[in-house]
Amino acid sequence: MTVDPRDPVGSAAAEIRGRRQWPLPKLADPKAPLLVVDDLTVRFRMPAGSVKAVDGVSFRLDDGEALGIAGESGCGKTTTALSLVRLLPANGRIKSGKVELFGIDLVPKTESQLARYRWREISIVFQGAMNALNPVQRIGDQVGEPIEIRLGQSRESARKRAGELLELVGIPRKRADAYPHELSGGMRQRAIIAMALACDPAIVIGDEPTTALDVMVQAQILQLLEQLRHDLGLSLMLITHDLSVIAETCDRVMVMYAGRVAEEGPVSRVFTAPRHPYTRKLLSSFPNIHADRRTLDVIAGALPDPRNPPPGCRFAPRCSFAMDVCREVVPPEVRFADGVRVACHLFPTADTAPLVQASGPSVPLSIGRPADGAHEAAPGMPAPVTGDRAP
Amino acid sequence: MTPLVAPDPLPPVAAAPAGARRRPGRARTFVGQVLARNDGRIGLLILIAFAVLAAFPDLFVGRLETATTATGRSLQPPGGGYLFGTDELGRDVLNMTVHGARISMAIGLMATMITVVFGALLGIIAGYVGGRTDTVIMRISDFFLVLPTIVLAIILAPVILDIVGADAELFGIRATMIVIVVVIGLTSWATTARIIRSQVLSIKMRMFVDRARVIGSGPGRIMRRHVLPNVINLIVAQAVLTFAIAVFTETTLAFIGLGDPFAPSWGQILNAAQSAGAPGLGAWWYIAPPAVCVVLVVLAFTLVGNALDDVLNPKSGARR
Amino acid sequence: MTHPDGHGVVPHDEAFHEAEREAAAAHAAAHDPGLQAPPAHPAHVHAPGPGGSPVAADAPEILRLTGLEVHFPVRGGLFDILTRRTRGVVRAVDGIDLSIRKGEILALVGESGSGKTTTGRVVVKLTRQTGGTVTVDGKDVSALWGTRALRAYRRRVQLIFQDPYETLNPKHTVGEFVMEPLIVNNIGVRHERMGVALAALDAAGLRPAADYASRYPHELSGGQRQRVVIAGALVMNPELVVADEPVSMLDVSIRTELLRLMLDLRRERGLTYLFITHDLSIAWVLADRIAVMYLGKIMEIGPAEQVIRTPRNPYTQALVSVSPSPDPPAAGARAARTILVGETPDAAHVPSGCRFHPRCPLAFDRCTVEEPPLFEVGDGHQAACWLAEAGPLDLPVIDAVQAVGGSEVAAVEAGVAADTPS
Repeated sequence: MTVDPRDPVGSAAAEIRGRRQWPLPKLADPKAPLLVVDDLTVRFRMPAGSVKAVDGVSFRLDDGEALGIAGESGCGKTTTALSLVRLLPANGRIKSGKVELFGIDLVPKTESQLARYRWREISIVFQGAMNALNPVQRIGDQVGEPIEIRLGQSRESARKRAGELLELVGIPRKRADAYPHELSGGMRQRAIIAMALACDPAIVIGDEPTTALDVMVQAQILQLLEQLRHDLGLSLMLITHDLSVIAETCDRVMVMYAGRVAEEGPVSRVFTAPRHPYTRKLLSSFPNIHADRRTLDVIAGALPDPRNPPPGCRFAPRCSFAMDVCREVVPPEVRFADGVRVACHLFPTADTAPLVQASGPSVPLSIGRPADGAHEAAPGMPAPVTGDRAP
Repeated sequence: MTPLVAPDPLPPVAAAPAGARRRPGRARTFVGQVLARNDGRIGLLILIAFAVLAAFPDLFVGRLETATTATGRSLQPPGGGYLFGTDELGRDVLNMTVHGARISMAIGLMATMITVVFGALLGIIAGYVGGRTDTVIMRISDFFLVLPTIVLAIILAPVILDIVGADAELFGIRATMIVIVVVIGLTSWATTARIIRSQVLSIKMRMFVDRARVIGSGPGRIMRRHVLPNVINLIVAQAVLTFAIAVFTETTLAFIGLGDPFAPSWGQILNAAQSAGAPGLGAWWYIAPPAVCVVLVVLAFTLVGNALDDVLNPKSGARR
Repeated sequence: MTHPDGHGVVPHDEAFHEAEREAAAAHAAAHDPGLQAPPAHPAHVHAPGPGGSPVAADAPEILRLTGLEVHFPVRGGLFDILTRRTRGVVRAVDGIDLSIRKGEILALVGESGSGKTTTGRVVVKLTRQTGGTVTVDGKDVSALWGTRALRAYRRRVQLIFQDPYETLNPKHTVGEFVMEPLIVNNIGVRHERMGVALAALDAAGLRPAADYASRYPHELSGGQRQRVVIAGALVMNPELVVADEPVSMLDVSIRTELLRLMLDLRRERGLTYLFITHDLSIAWVLADRIAVMYLGKIMEIGPAEQVIRTPRNPYTQALVSVSPSPDPPAAGARAARTILVGETPDAAHVPSGCRFHPRCPLAFDRCTVEEPPLFEVGDGHQAACWLAEAGPLDLPVIDAVQAVGGSEVAAVEAGVAADTPS
């Protein structure tokens, strides 16, 4: 793992922490980075045996940063995020690894100790949460509830704060007396975001926060998140299968496949010059209205059986560049100079792969494979090894 | 992606081994699930016991004793060959109670069938067809819902008996019993219809109903093939509860004198005990056996109905 | 790749190596030009390039909607129902005209509440129109209703549903599901039906079909289930298929496979699609023509390329600008986004004039009082906007949030006003 937990906190982070309404947790190390996840492994006990839903995932989230976690359903992205505050289903357990928030490891904490961090430091906006609002309670009261319960504030001050929060997310204060059915879907999702912000958390996790919304409302919500991040110095973690949401809102992206990190790095790098074949496939199978070609790639095959994953690279069975080594050896994570981390045997070390010239014009993605069956000759991709393939 | 649920780690295909691609024995697992619950187990046990008694009363206590065949003394307390004592005519209370099981449960069964058939049919039609049909059926059901059973029985009994004659028999069932069955059916179909209708309303919105329409299925086929299988759990649970209510109602009706004097149902026995002054004479053994039986059967049906409701309800998560 | 959902069909515990071999074979097939099924299965979805549809301009018209209206009455209590009295009306579809030629894919795009689904339901005769006509092959079928009367119609017009989990009955096998239309319509005898069903499964890419026919839905993946749903429509051998958001429940990678299947089926069977979606990008990938709906009316209709590249209605323009794209904004290549304020109003309270004017950044006086008809703005390209009255006009790029209020709160407040509680 290439994340150094001792990386000093920059002045930007210090400035963001200075804006906190509530003090840091008592045990916090003010010099520690916001969130460091190291070698996290999560298991699910299933009737048919144990399943590693997350297998050795490491990443880091800095103050004021937005990280997107992308991947197909079943790739472990939601499990990764939920395990941070241990909101796992009953059969899920963190098996090993560290989750360090301000240098405090959350994994060994008991359930009651963890409650201090849940919602107060890390809050979550679930997919379709706007449909989970209590229909008989006023919006303002529902937003104020965590303030009353978690922060022990009086009812009046909680209500006052709820009004401020609603205004912050773009709901006029006078609508605090409305019931959920009196608000549109977009407004309700805004209210849910206000609830997530109620305790002034350091990190907000969005689990498919805009998936159920119309395109235009989705754009409004993403714009709101962007603005909140800017104004409040929030750190965001967006979990979504929708790459466009990540492209729009995040600084960094982590692409997961079958419980492992495939590629992680700045959005501007990963999305314009993807290295991992899975990232490339994912990007090229995403319909892009703003691109020139009306072609879409297909990722053949399905996710591997998590009870019995392939021994080497988990993407190998679906990968058109797979070599013998991919089927046997787990690829190591390699970090490149441009901040991208890749786990792929095509990139055994950081200096093997020629990169797209960073200074050059943005290279359009080569979407889809040419119909004649030749390999894609994309910039930055070494020529695939073909010798071992069956005739 | 459902929040808080493990991302389905098993690909659906892998879930079924190649050779065993058959539907799991649903009936077996279903009974197994009912039996796995305490309420289901106890309820079923009681019911089976009463069913056996009702089916072969002669086997256990001999033929039904009448005033002429009575062997005991009047109002003899339990003991001395009469486990439950005797009534004022010297008949064995045990003998009558066991034979009463037959009448009470037969009435319960018939009333349940009427209730469930009418209730389910009207409920499905009202829910699926909707519109004016729905409104009309539901208003009618409202009327029957508030109708007091006993008052209706008091009014209907003489009317029906007058028409068919008190001694008339229909398929071997005496007219007075038919009155009871009809009265119970009339007053309880409405509840069933309402419950089933509300379920049908939500099923109607499901996509497989639209699909059935698009491929050209008529309303009859859709109700039979797509709606009915989805409400069958409710129907079963409702039937069981109705049975309990029917046995109870029959007892009440017989007690107030609307029963068949020649068929010693539990209610009839209680009625006879009351008119013989058993409570005043301290002859508790005359009252207790039929009363306890009624309570037991109603309790057993409620227990089974409760278990069925849980097991058959897909939302309970017990299935799958 | 030529096989569906790949080796997902091989039980893993049985033979992972078999899956591996299969994968290797698939790769070999994909990479060896000799082995690859040539033009019938291109490696990627490829809709006709710029220049429009592969459908000849003189192809016969298969479907025409004229002034189609679906108004749902809002009824109050018991008395209203019994007397069939209405209080107010929801104008789900409010007068639309469109036509589809044989072999064409027309995408009907809109946000929720636009009436796109209702339009599709009218075409498959699940919902009755309250006004206008539906013409199929030049024959007016508007009045056709009832199980028996629709029998022939149902064979020609089929629907593919959004949610394969909801459409498949968990208690029926795949084979039973696919055969049901044949049984319902009394087509063929028993063993013939099975053959037809297997052929449909095969056409939907579930091979070997006999193997799939005996399975239950819970044994299939999402993509496979949607293929079963498609097979269930194909078995009737329809000419026109209405597809209501057929891929919106699926993962991105599976989505592409299904879109390709739909294109293959069009080529092989000459199917015509009315493709209903909220996702303009998918419409753009798949469709020959796109119709954009808003609040029960068509705002713009025309060849996909023209509608996307040169939208003539501000609503279309805004939708295009906010449509998902995996390009990071830093690249600077993207046009400014026009994020409209508020949400689509309730169809029971349609605004006066142009129904889009309360949210339109370019609205002027006339828009508030007079409803614009569809103006011709290009070859087969029409837009319902007063700005298009004088012909094609490039719309200015607007930042709607700034145009309306300057501040987010003010903008949202405007949205709240437009958002009428039901």
